[in-house]
Amino acid sequence: MMDAIQSEISRDRRAFIKKVLGGTIAGSLLLVIPAGAMDVPEQIPGMREQEGPFIKGKKFVFIVDITRCIGCGSCCVADKNEYQVPDGNYRTWVERYVIDDHDNVYVDSPNGGLDGYQKPRTDIPHPVRDTFFVPKLCNMCEKPSCVQVCPVGATYQTKDGFVLIDQKRCVACSYCVQACPYSVRFINPKTKTADKCTWCYHRVRKGLLPACVNVCPVQARKFGDVNDRNSEVYKILHQPHVVSVLKPGMGNKPSLHYVGLRREVV
Amino acid sequence: MQPEYKSKYNTHVIRIVLVLAVVAVVGVTVRSMVIPESFGKYGHYRADAIKDEVNRPIRNGTNAACLSCHPYIREMHLEGIHRTVSCEFCHGPVADHVKDGKVVAKLPKKQGEEIKTLCLRCHNKIIRARPKEAIKMISMPEHLEQKHVRTDHNCNQCHNVHSPMMWVLEARAIVGVEEESK
Ligand code: SF4
Ligand code: SF4
Repeated sequence: MMDAIQSEISRDRRAFIKKVLGGTIAGSLLLVIPAGAMDVPEQIPGMREQEGPFIKGKKFVFIVDITRCIGCGSCCVADKNEYQVPDGNYRTWVERYVIDDHDNVYVDSPNGGLDGYQKPRTDIPHPVRDTFFVPKLCNMCEKPSCVQVCPVGATYQTKDGFVLIDQKRCVACSYCVQACPYSVRFINPKTKTADKCTWCYHRVRKGLLPACVNVCPVQARKFGDVNDRNSEVYKILHQPHVVSVLKPGMGNKPSLHYVGLRREVV
Repeated sequence: MQPEYKSKYNTHVIRIVLVLAVVAVVGVTVRSMVIPESFGKYGHYRADAIKDEVNRPIRNGTNAACLSCHPYIREMHLEGIHRTVSCEFCHGPVADHVKDGKVVAKLPKKQGEEIKTLCLRCHNKIIRARPKEAIKMISMPEHLEQKHVRTDHNCNQCHNVHSPMMWVLEARAIVGVEEESK
């Protein structure tokens, strides 16, 4: 099954090398860039050599560093562009938390952070004690409740740990939307199926980082292989850092971790 | 002793068997029609769905993709502090620009107020949730007043958006102006 994709990848790579060689002779202006992005330098080492239906030897995790996120919403823009997400739906979004000195928590996320945060909150009666941004996306649970409830096997978990949706099988019954403790699922009004963040599975399989990770200007979003001891994610997860997951009590075992998470975040 | 009743007719049995057989045949046919071929190969799902997902088109390239065709911008962009800013964040996804190795459309360049709005998405000091370690923040219009320029000036009149300090540093080198203490 993957052989076809693999051969396509290597064919594209050959074509690209030819083009590069042609380009250096004829001047860089002739360098053409196919939109398949196979030509883009590999960002996840070894992914383009992978064969077979599942990724082998790697365990991907996602880390969001709350102490770095500036709430620019670049990630939301990239996500909308990558998936052409209909307005009003969000595969990823950024929330703004404001906590006052009476421990009241205020959360907002105008248009999911897609337009950025241009205005301060003016409706907080007490002095602000703590304020920060929290990007949200699929937690890629090790025990995904969304998969358990799907009556037609349209939501599934691959052996390499990705929770995906079969667009052809989904009957839009919304059970999974209800079952996800992190509210990351929605019914896409264009495809009339359930939809959610996939950690850019199609990019990852082709050796590219998720779109949101690529665009984050301050590296608040990190994606990598935790089996690789030299990877940044391995180092973060094995440091005496305050790393945490959302709603650990749900037992979903998220593969999405947060650095600098406050207890107020749900 | 009760006489033993035994029907000579077993049509009712035959009927039941026939009905069951028909139900079974219909069931099996419908099942094979409804359940896709690759279903259950790896688990309770359609194995080919993975292929569908992998084949989703990539729409965001990377800065490397953009900059490989724009050497002039490349030089500026990679030099300045904005090198981590995504090209496609301001200009749109590369898939709208290049298809099958051909340029199919121009991507928009932001103008005037749009630029200011984009700058302030990251640098607006009034949004207090931003960690200072991650970004340099400024307040408007105080910044313009402090620099003694008109308050209707746009950010890109002093700052090259790709390399924010480029012109400022050049100007300083030419005129020998010292940066005022902030
Ligand atoms: S791109 Fe990075 S800094 Fe900007 S909102 Fe997203 S996670 Fe936060
Ligand atoms: S976060 Fe929700 S949608 Fe994602 S795997 Fe977990 S339960 Fe499923």
